[in-house]
Amino acid sequence: MHSIKQTFAHDTWVMPYLRKYKWLLVLVLFLGMMTFLSAAALMFNSGYLISEAARRPGNIIYIYVPVVLARAFGIARPVFRYSERLTSHNWVLRIVSDFRKKLYQAVEAKASAIKQTHQTGDILSILADDIDHIENLYLRTVFPIVIGWLLYLFIIIGVGVFSWPVALLMALILAMIVLVMPLLSVAVNGTREFKQKQIQSNFYTSLTDEVLGLTDWVISGRYNDFMKLQNKPIDEIATLRRKDHFFQWWRGFGVQFFFLLAVLTLLIWSGTFFTASKGMANWIAAFALTLFPIVEPFLEVSQGASEWPVYRQSIERVNQLSNDQPQTVAQTTLTEPVSDLNVNHVTFHYPDDDKIILKDVSLNIHRGEKIALLGPSGTGKSTLLKLLLGDQKPTVGIVTINGTPVSELQQQRAQLFGVLDQQPYLFDTSVMNNIRLGNLNATDDQVKAAVAAVELKSLIESLPDGYDTEVQESGTRFSGGERQRLSLARILLQDAPIIVLDEPTVSLDPITERQLLDTVFKVLHDKTIIWVTHHLAGIDHVDQVRFLEDGVFDMQGTPRALYRDEPRFRKLYELDTGKRS
Amino acid sequence: MIDRRLFKIPGIWPRIMMIALLTLVQAVTIVIQARALSIAVVQLWELKPLATIVTPTAVFVVSFLCRHLITVAQNRSFYPFVAETTGKMREQLMTKLFRLGPSLVEKTGTGNMVTMALEGIDKVQTYLMLIVIKIMDMGITPWVILLYIAFMQWKEAAFLLIIYPVIILFMIILGLAAKSKADRQYAGYQRLSNNFVDTLRGLGTLKQLGLSKRYAGNVYSVSEDYRKETMATLRIAMTSTFALDFFTTLSVAVVAVFLGFDLMDGKIMLLPALTILTLAPDYFLPVRNFASDYHATLNGKNALQAVLDVLETPETTDRDELKQLAWHDDSSIKFDDVSLTYEDADQPTLSHISFDVHGFQKVGIIGASGSGKSTLINLIGGFLTPDEPGHISLNGQKLPHLSQETWQHNSIYIPQAPYLFHATLRENICFYQPDTADGQVKAACEKAGLTDWIAELPQGLETMIGEGSRGVSGGQAQRIALARAFLDDSRKVLLFDEPTAHLDIETEAALKEDMLPLLDDRLVFFATHRLHWINQMDYVLVMDHGQLVEQGTPAELAGHDGPYTQLRAEMGGLHALD
Repeated sequence: MHSIKQTFAHDTWVMPYLRKYKWLLVLVLFLGMMTFLSAAALMFNSGYLISEAARRPGNIIYIYVPVVLARAFGIARPVFRYSERLTSHNWVLRIVSDFRKKLYQAVEAKASAIKQTHQTGDILSILADDIDHIENLYLRTVFPIVIGWLLYLFIIIGVGVFSWPVALLMALILAMIVLVMPLLSVAVNGTREFKQKQIQSNFYTSLTDEVLGLTDWVISGRYNDFMKLQNKPIDEIATLRRKDHFFQWWRGFGVQFFFLLAVLTLLIWSGTFFTASKGMANWIAAFALTLFPIVEPFLEVSQGASEWPVYRQSIERVNQLSNDQPQTVAQTTLTEPVSDLNVNHVTFHYPDDDKIILKDVSLNIHRGEKIALLGPSGTGKSTLLKLLLGDQKPTVGIVTINGTPVSELQQQRAQLFGVLDQQPYLFDTSVMNNIRLGNLNATDDQVKAAVAAVELKSLIESLPDGYDTEVQESGTRFSGGERQRLSLARILLQDAPIIVLDEPTVSLDPITERQLLDTVFKVLHDKTIIWVTHHLAGIDHVDQVRFLEDGVFDMQGTPRALYRDEPRFRKLYELDTGKRS
Repeated sequence: MIDRRLFKIPGIWPRIMMIALLTLVQAVTIVIQARALSIAVVQLWELKPLATIVTPTAVFVVSFLCRHLITVAQNRSFYPFVAETTGKMREQLMTKLFRLGPSLVEKTGTGNMVTMALEGIDKVQTYLMLIVIKIMDMGITPWVILLYIAFMQWKEAAFLLIIYPVIILFMIILGLAAKSKADRQYAGYQRLSNNFVDTLRGLGTLKQLGLSKRYAGNVYSVSEDYRKETMATLRIAMTSTFALDFFTTLSVAVVAVFLGFDLMDGKIMLLPALTILTLAPDYFLPVRNFASDYHATLNGKNALQAVLDVLETPETTDRDELKQLAWHDDSSIKFDDVSLTYEDADQPTLSHISFDVHGFQKVGIIGASGSGKSTLINLIGGFLTPDEPGHISLNGQKLPHLSQETWQHNSIYIPQAPYLFHATLRENICFYQPDTADGQVKAACEKAGLTDWIAELPQGLETMIGEGSRGVSGGQAQRIALARAFLDDSRKVLLFDEPTAHLDIETEAALKEDMLPLLDDRLVFFATHRLHWINQMDYVLVMDHGQLVEQGTPAELAGHDGPYTQLRAEMGGLHALD
């Protein structure tokens, strides 16, 4: 119980929506309860009907009402069930729409325009799965449990009308089913679920590891080691699962056992209670049979409860995400054109890590200037870009545009910065729509002009669907170089004064690379450009080259001056052109 | 619903017989339970004292408990068999994976392969547990009950018998209607459900474009569209369940009314009537249970199919044609008109490749992207099989393909991004030779230029690296691969596939210095578009659109204006700084 309380202590994901769609929720629960009440009523009524008929009353009129009721209940149950399922799914999917929006907003607030580690994608999938989990929380746990409890209350009150002591006994017996066993399930399953999750994620990691490194395994010829690696987690999971299954089977048996006690109680009680007359005795069969249809929802209560630990993790994860949002800074807007971008004595380390990534770095870029940033991976190039864009704040120092801190210009960011990175994202829609994302107000002609500028006109127009061609998931319809050009067209429409190029050619071959760089610098000739690059192809396009090493700039100048004066630069340049070995 | 291959699982028949037997016993307990309860109720109805119901109630309790104990017994006795079968299946899957190698992964996808081995097998387990027990239940229980009812009252039994196929028929008709509608909606539906993950992944780009805040509304409206589509599909899918529910519940009601009229006419006594009424829901229970697990079984069946399909994929045969191999400076490998066509392609990816390489030559493979460099390296590494056997020969012996165990034990493959296992640095370095002495490991690290970096690591060689652990830069990953190669001096064939393409120029320059000694006294195949490597090669293969358009020593090739000179000019076309 404590853990449940804890989970919902700062909850913004479950409770608010229960409140928001309150009436629909009431309807779902009502329909769910009516489903099983109709089923119980059908058996109750039928028991009475045949008992009364067995007395052979003189006239059919005596059993007319039960006959009509039997048919009514017979039809009511499936109808209620059908509407309950439709309503509950509709309700849950409505909530999912809200969830998705909320999750999106939470992730959006923290997202960086500069690519993080490749794992980001996985985390996003986990979050998307969490939404599905919360969906199931309602359908498989909340609804069955609440409906089970409502039925429980109904039975107790129903019996209580006749006899309070019997109602109390029934309350105790059935409490085993709707309270004790579910709690037991949570307790037992909670620890086991935790263990299983752990083993499973280890197994998942090692299996992925094996599949990804399969080439090396095959070459190594270590078949036995390969097989041995999975045996342990497989055995552990099998053991846990066996225990889990055994528990479930015996729990099912337990529910049936207490259910049997409840049936016996009703049978014996009605056998002693309805003895006043033969007419009264007709109720005995009714009470003896009525409980049987209720066993189904009762079995679901424990099952639903045992799934709670899975959902709990999801709820906690999404709650954590939305509870720990970055602080906001008062925003201003820049009205005059950008004249200079200034990095002023900036030092940076991540809050949770002592490692200094940038040490007292200064950089001043004037309008229209083009700068190339080089350096081995891990020296802070990406971090510097994040600081420029305002995705991160310097630990010491300040980044400004025309003297205004970038952190105060975030609302205007898309008007100030355009970004082209290693793998720009193309959305699963048409070419036209993808490019128009750069400027939603662009006309078709403007989009086409941008496509022409990036030299894709003939390619796109040669496709059967032209500008309406679908780019497919992640843009797989097009090659790497073409994807970069499509994104470049998007940036042209965006028309921001400062362009950040984050290793846009790293996965391209030299010919494609050179052609792309020529186009990039041609169409962006009037922009301020900060270009992070991994080698020196196309370096003649820039005014200044800076080498970042261990968080400081250690070599800088115009490409020509560096080539003339720096032997190290000359050596790298000649290696790049293949002149030197 | 049922995959025929299910019955070919070894040892399944005795289990099925046993389940059948248990189900039969269970059906009898259901009848006894109903009968006993009815006797007790009738006694009370006749206003007899409580003492008269002690025996029937006891019988009711015992048979009720037996019935549910048998359910546990069925599961418990069948489960070990299922667990063992699926365990074996998983093992076979892994063996298959090892035998088929990366080509299988390429076809099925890494994610799919892992999911299949994990969740897929779990689904198969659920499927096996459900399908056998539920089918036996459906095949036995209703008929035992019906037979008993028929003994008492043939009219109600006839009604129950007739209604059964009607229910099944309606379920099938509605199910088929739902399926065809669902199929039609599926494409659009799938897209909507992918849209959300798609949007999250593209968030960085949306942020760059300043659209990310506004896009929240889009997320919501797409999700609402998804809801409407889903509801439309669900409405039809649930109609099938509704039909089942409707007919079974109404049938119980109809039976009750029938019995009422018969009782009034004196055609039947209360006891049999009450027994029939109690049994009627149990008559329909198996088919309802089966329907409620329909989706789990459907998923399971698909999973089983996918697993069995992989298990039935033919393996590359003749992997031990080459009995012995130790690569010397007089060894030779010859390609004579080798072509390779991918399974689902109509054009060959490599066509008519012929070359003859011997001893410790260093062979550069160059060409534009898509020219077939990687495919050729994969073919040489034995990860792909040529279209026709007998076109490749090693030391004069004709071979069907290079997927020869002895050949692979002589080679080392270093791709653009060498895979690092989630293990310690030492385990990664010693991957080909797990039991290597510490001194040798350190020497290999020294040669690969790793010593300084290792000294910085908190736990040195025992530091965990790989996915989810300490990040390793691209340059260091290459050095780890080099250390592996330095460690295993017996492997004399080196296959490189663009090892430095994505590295920054400084890292590349430093790495190259440490890499050069490794190339000595080895046969090297080096696919690259980094031109400076050509200076270290003594033979070059120039690829273009899957064909070997030119070959020779770099000096020969540079000497005339052929594909090699053209390619060099295009690739190295930097605007000169000097």
